Amino acid sequence: MKRQEEPEVQRGAVDVRQLPTTVFGHRDPLWWGTMGFVAIEGTTLFIAVASYFYLWRNTGTWPPQHTLRPSLLWPTISLAVLLLSNIPIRFLARAARRLDAGAVKRWLVVATVLSFAFLFLRWQDLLSLNVRWDTNAYGSIAWLTVGLHATLLVANAGEFAVFTALFHSSRRTERHLGDAVDASVYWHFMTGIWAPLYAVVYLGPYLI
Amino acid sequence: MSAAVSPSEVVTDADRRARDELAHSWKDAPGFWGWLTTVDHKRVGKRYIVTAFIFFLLGGIDAALIRLQLARPENGLLGPDAYNQVFTMHGSTMMFLFAVPIMMAMGIYFVPLMIGARNVAFPRLNAYGYWVYLIGGTLLYVGFFTNTGPDTGWFSYVPLAGPDYSPGKRVDLWAQTVTFTEISALITAVELIVTIFKHRAPGMTLNRMPLFVWAELITAFMVLFAMPWVATASLFLASDRLIGTHFFNPAEGGDALLWQHLFWFFGHPEVYIIFVPSLGMISQIVATFTGRQVFGYTAIVLANIAQGFMAFGLWVHHMFATTVPQLGSSFFTATSAMIAIPSGVQIFCWIATIWAGRPRLRVPFLFVLGFFVIFVIGGLSGVMVASVPFDTQVHDSFFVVAHLHYVLLGAVFPLFGAFYYWFPKITGRLLSERMGRWQVALFFTGVNVAFFPMHFLGLDGMPRRVYTYLPETGWGPLNLVATVGAVTIACSVALFLVNVVRSLRNGELAPDDPWGGDTLEWATTSPPPPYAFVHLPVVEGRGALWSRTEARPSVTGLRTDSREALVTTLVDALPDSRFHHPDPTIDPFLTAIATGAIFIALIFTPWGLPLGGILLLVTLTAWAWPTKKEHAKQVKQEAEVLP
Repeated sequence: MKRQEEPEVQRGAVDVRQLPTTVFGHRDPLWWGTMGFVAIEGTTLFIAVASYFYLWRNTGTWPPQHTLRPSLLWPTISLAVLLLSNIPIRFLARAARRLDAGAVKRWLVVATVLSFAFLFLRWQDLLSLNVRWDTNAYGSIAWLTVGLHATLLVANAGEFAVFTALFHSSRRTERHLGDAVDASVYWHFMTGIWAPLYAVVYLGPYLI
Repeated sequence: MSAAVSPSEVVTDADRRARDELAHSWKDAPGFWGWLTTVDHKRVGKRYIVTAFIFFLLGGIDAALIRLQLARPENGLLGPDAYNQVFTMHGSTMMFLFAVPIMMAMGIYFVPLMIGARNVAFPRLNAYGYWVYLIGGTLLYVGFFTNTGPDTGWFSYVPLAGPDYSPGKRVDLWAQTVTFTEISALITAVELIVTIFKHRAPGMTLNRMPLFVWAELITAFMVLFAMPWVATASLFLASDRLIGTHFFNPAEGGDALLWQHLFWFFGHPEVYIIFVPSLGMISQIVATFTGRQVFGYTAIVLANIAQGFMAFGLWVHHMFATTVPQLGSSFFTATSAMIAIPSGVQIFCWIATIWAGRPRLRVPFLFVLGFFVIFVIGGLSGVMVASVPFDTQVHDSFFVVAHLHYVLLGAVFPLFGAFYYWFPKITGRLLSERMGRWQVALFFTGVNVAFFPMHFLGLDGMPRRVYTYLPETGWGPLNLVATVGAVTIACSVALFLVNVVRSLRNGELAPDDPWGGDTLEWATTSPPPPYAFVHLPVVEGRGALWSRTEARPSVTGLRTDSREALVTTLVDALPDSRFHHPDPTIDPFLTAIATGAIFIALIFTPWGLPLGGILLLVTLTAWAWPTKKEHAKQVKQEAEVLP
């Protein structure tokens, strides 16, 4: 026997046997889990920015004297790449929603390549700060803000690498398509939140 | 008759078969391996509760040492260095290792049962959270027993806790313990939110949810937005100490006050994170022991939510003695006084419930009555210290120690009440009522004798965190009284332990519902089976059991040969999809070990991050990769979806 048999009296029973097992977006518990982690990570990055402004008012100039401003070339390129990467991720999510596993597999490869490209770009972002973390508090908070976001990128690259491998293996099931949609939502958060962080860390020092 | 919800109601052959299959599908491996790999929220919740209670005992021993040292002037029991470690361990243990974990743990155990679910939303993550917490707590005590106990207070202010004034590894151990416990609390918060949002029994709309579940939900949201502050602060502190950053170093543009802001932005909500679940426990206990629904359900929920929001607008009242602008201080005085309003609303709702009901003076209810007195005293001294001129007079004095203990022990009263209330559900045996009454009396007396004199000591100028004082100060007699109170509390807790041990051995056997409660945990056996309910219940009114009609509807059609759960909609709890829960696995344990390796290595070298990171990647990959068996089950489940 696979399912519970009908109770003897049907009155008031709620039969759920026809409900689907693969659902997307807010119908999926995993989507809510992803949202929870978005809230945690968003709060953490907000704290980094709040601390950035708190420390800013401690010095007459920002960055402090004898400290170079950040270079803008690489960070601007990486911002553009991060934001544009949402286009293929959108295709990935759409393919997952229409249960097209073949297309999901292809877009996952693209996403994984992109997520590893982010790591190279992030290294350039850090070098472009033109200050060490132990030079002064400005350097500390700039490194920490960019570094915290980098940990999301690293985790994301790891996740997509494993995910891509899983989709190319025999252990994939339909349920994983829902996971792909959740991963794409996280991708939107991760790349979108970089825009204000970029503005604060890289453009902020040019404002005064 | 309809399909059975509790295994004890099973009479038909169909139900019997369902029960047996469920028992097989949801069982753990036998022995130690099963203990290590379980993902059952009840087993994980139980070990969370037991572990947190052991930390409560350890923190209590720290407290006893403090009180013995201060019992008379110029006492030589503890030297200044040992005393600094002991009071830091006491505060850190009680806040990080006992209070928050145990309140979340009660949620882990009871929320799924109270909402009619078979397990939490992410059972493996749940198990991982516990192991990370255990590693963090053990780390702190290993440090303490090897003379590396933190010694800068539970809030570890810089510059004292910075690299210049606290060389060595003591503060680093503290910072990493905080990180461990925050990871675990955050995970549990996400877990509870999603469980409550998506796994409620059909019919349990949001406005029918038990008040304890509401309290846990609000607490989980507070954790989500409060814990990252202390996690980030401890990251700043650890990196100042390890890799030479300057977050808190004024010479290089850093700021010591930044620490206080970050810490208290977490630290104040923390008080409510401890307190709000205990309010939920009170609501359940008051309802059960007065035999009526709590008066003002909506008002209580709204008051709880208001507390959740307001708790984030109070943090600066911990910093009135610093250079906060006057306007800022006035704002925080106003908000600090304002939070008395939602607290008052709840107290009046409970009083109205008791007034209109028929109170049964059983031990859980007696603890709630004790809470009313303790909490009102703590609340009143709270309104006093909300005023800047008064606060600057008593800041860092024993008056504050008295206030915070009244408030926090105010939360421990309902917790003990909840232990008595739910012990039969967890263990299948009732605690002794007679010993319980003695415990309430001793605890209530002890708390008042220990902490009430501290108000006067503070007003008389006795500062916190001094390891001794001179006889000429005249503080000796009241300190001795306080120590007698502490000993009384210790006796009360010892009595509780005796009661637990005796009841486990030969306590009275508990039926499904020993108190005549209204919530769904009483609709299954004591203790509940791993699958919780034979058929998931369907809720027909705000009182899940009291408003149950004769039809006693339940859910049919869920698989019994695998771990299938029901997903319902967020607001109305309409059945929406089926969800496959994972089987027991070692992966959470291994991932927690990898996490532990990273953070412990980071105390000594920044290379801990990349090296531990690789280890973590390996364990997480194993976690994400379905086993052959799981894969087969999932394929089978998906193949059966009807078009």
